[in-house]
Amino acid sequence: MPFNQDDTRFYRQDVDSRGQTMSVDERRELLERYLPRPSELRSSSAREQVRDQKRKQRRSRRLRPYLKQRLHLAIYLIIQLLFGIFIRVRQIVSALFQKFIAVRHYHHRTPAYIQKDLKGLSRLPEHLSVILRYDARSDDGLETLLDDVAELAAWSTAAGIPLLSVYEKTGVLKQYMSAVQEIVQQKLVLYFGAPPSTPVLQVFAPNYPSLSPLPSPQINGTTNTNLNLSLLLLSESDGRETLVDLTRTLTEMAQAQKLRPKDITVDLIDTEISASTSVPAPSNNAQRTNGHKKTNGVKHDDTYLPSEPDLLIVFAPVIKLDGYPPWQIRLTEIFCVGDSGGDVSGRSRTRVEYQGFLRALWNYAGAEFRFGS
Amino acid sequence: MGSKQISTFRKWILSSPPAEWALNQLRELLIGAIKHGKVPRHVAFVMDGNRRYARTHRIETVEGHNLGFEALARILEVCYKSGVHTVTIYAFSIENFKRSKHEVDALMDMAKIKLTQLSQHGELLDRYGASIRILGQRSLMKPDVLEAMDRACSMTEHNDKTVLNVCFPYTSRDEITTAVRRTVQEYARPVPQPQPGHERRTPFTEERIKNTLRSQHKNEQDSNEHMKDIEPTAFHSPSSSSTSLASEASAQSDTPPDQQHDLVQEAEAEAEADASSVSSSSTTLPPEVLSSSSSPPTSYTGSPTPKPLSSLAKPPLSQPQYKNFEDISSATINSHLFTASDPPLDLLIRTSGVERLSDFMLWQCHEHTRIVFLNVLWPEFDLWQFLPVLWEWQWRARKEEQMGRLLMGQEVKVD
Repeated sequence: MPFNQDDTRFYRQDVDSRGQTMSVDERRELLERYLPRPSELRSSSAREQVRDQKRKQRRSRRLRPYLKQRLHLAIYLIIQLLFGIFIRVRQIVSALFQKFIAVRHYHHRTPAYIQKDLKGLSRLPEHLSVILRYDARSDDGLETLLDDVAELAAWSTAAGIPLLSVYEKTGVLKQYMSAVQEIVQQKLVLYFGAPPSTPVLQVFAPNYPSLSPLPSPQINGTTNTNLNLSLLLLSESDGRETLVDLTRTLTEMAQAQKLRPKDITVDLIDTEISASTSVPAPSNNAQRTNGHKKTNGVKHDDTYLPSEPDLLIVFAPVIKLDGYPPWQIRLTEIFCVGDSGGDVSGRSRTRVEYQGFLRALWNYAGAEFRFGS
Repeated sequence: MGSKQISTFRKWILSSPPAEWALNQLRELLIGAIKHGKVPRHVAFVMDGNRRYARTHRIETVEGHNLGFEALARILEVCYKSGVHTVTIYAFSIENFKRSKHEVDALMDMAKIKLTQLSQHGELLDRYGASIRILGQRSLMKPDVLEAMDRACSMTEHNDKTVLNVCFPYTSRDEITTAVRRTVQEYARPVPQPQPGHERRTPFTEERIKNTLRSQHKNEQDSNEHMKDIEPTAFHSPSSSSTSLASEASAQSDTPPDQQHDLVQEAEAEAEADASSVSSSSTTLPPEVLSSSSSPPTSYTGSPTPKPLSSLAKPPLSQPQYKNFEDISSATINSHLFTASDPPLDLLIRTSGVERLSDFMLWQCHEHTRIVFLNVLWPEFDLWQFLPVLWEWQWRARKEEQMGRLLMGQEVKVD
């Protein structure tokens, strides 16, 4: 328990004098008054303690700790009950709030509305990343996943975000890369109109050959829009496995005497990892000079889009990264869409909704930045 | 000194003995209640918000850090009483060296004093089985702080009931890089070769085993005409070289010895000519692999010749043997991290409303860790903000367990 008033004052006096006021014994006395008996901490779980107590329960001397155990158990159950109710209430409130925002700001499949919702934001992410979950057990899991990806792509393009990376743990999206491209292209046509005003879409996945953009039905094949979107698909194998692969390559080089272990620096690994998920910037890159200031001080090559996400949206009730590549999210803002009921354990899919996307971007713009110092 | 008190009257009420006693009893009760559920084994804290607190309450930044230390003591007490095994705190980042010299010096000073004081209470720590570990890039610290760190750590090394990891100075990328470097160092160290006289002593001899095998195969061959002859040479034990090379041996040993010799020379030439590419792994494997057709281990002294004893006159190329790099997995890298001996991270809490990881525990928390961002500043962080986080963690853990049991029940029914 925290110190009482007099002890606090004494302690702070000691701190101010850089440890000269109290002697070792005085300090020990001070602390010992507050430390619990070691026997209380000995067994890690309370159930073990209850068992121990039961064994010694015969003597009435042990009655008090036993009663205490029982009391604690009762309180635990009461708390869990009350807390369960509290969580449900919170879920309802949050669901109502989200519905309110959804009604007030709906995209109507029109980029102009989306841009109006995002007007006046001080900054927008250049690399937006989302974590989605594929529900393999339901019948239309893949369809809904593809549709979600398409919607997110359309919203990001309308917002002027050049790179969207989608992380999905099992990597099912990578297997259906051409389907992804088709469906996203259809959605873009729906939002922006038929080519030539459709934004240019490119789909990438690390270690997979990138697909060429779908041929537009125009004869000359040019587009009159400077909007484009690069879509990067990530999965669990781009996380730890990539680092393990890099270690293996470095070990091989070291065994062949081409590399000394002390040459391995943070920069070396950084270069390699960013190269593995790098996406070349498209040629008509007018969006990147739209006046939004560079957020983190990382300098990157202008021929490649930034490999570190600026904002990561987790479409789940709690933030669990679930295998997302660890190296790149060093300075990424992480936003959780919130718990609105439905999937308590996080195992089923959270719906991807426009209001979640909006709230994430609003939150990002309002966030302060303080880089180390 | 400025005001450290929220409101004088409220503070006066709260610090009167009956109120204090009541609050303490309540705290004990709540902490005791927590222990009846599932408790996270490893919790990490990012202690953010000291300076902002100092700014808003108009006190010195250093005072803010001192208050932060008090908050840390409170939270540690709650954690350990609840049964958490390991607590990791982010005390100082390598990026924080960019702060003003005055602040950095004050922080180092504070660390040194606290660690020295800690080392004076050795038996107190031993009583509770508490140990403290300092994780981070030691080369950036001044020697006097390093000395205090080492003393505190070595004094409590043998305790393992509860662990406090202080990340000072620490950056997760640096930790991962160090782990990779250590792995590479381990795998680039040549495996010690067995001396010619010191063979592995075992009651089983190769000759006898080979004879048994040969007679076995003869029997099989006699009984089954169509079965292909398996060369006894394929079953050479690799003696004391690494076992993974044996798989290469069995693949290669079908060729007769003189062809093997040519292969060896070819491989040598390839290995030397191959200056830039690291693509094919076979060229970097030492040529002794192919020499396993001869049984005595003398051929493993480093000379690349496959011919037995007679060709020891050839100058040894002294290509050392290494552990196979294909064995490197994420568990290997995990074991070289600073937190290798700790249980997996269950809960990561960051205060002061900032929603970034800021280079903390990236490798450890990117799988199943629950990340919580709280809007309270670190010096104000207390049991009342921490308990709801624990409750929620327990509640979700229970729900997941129930869900898991339900799913398993369903799957069993389907099957």
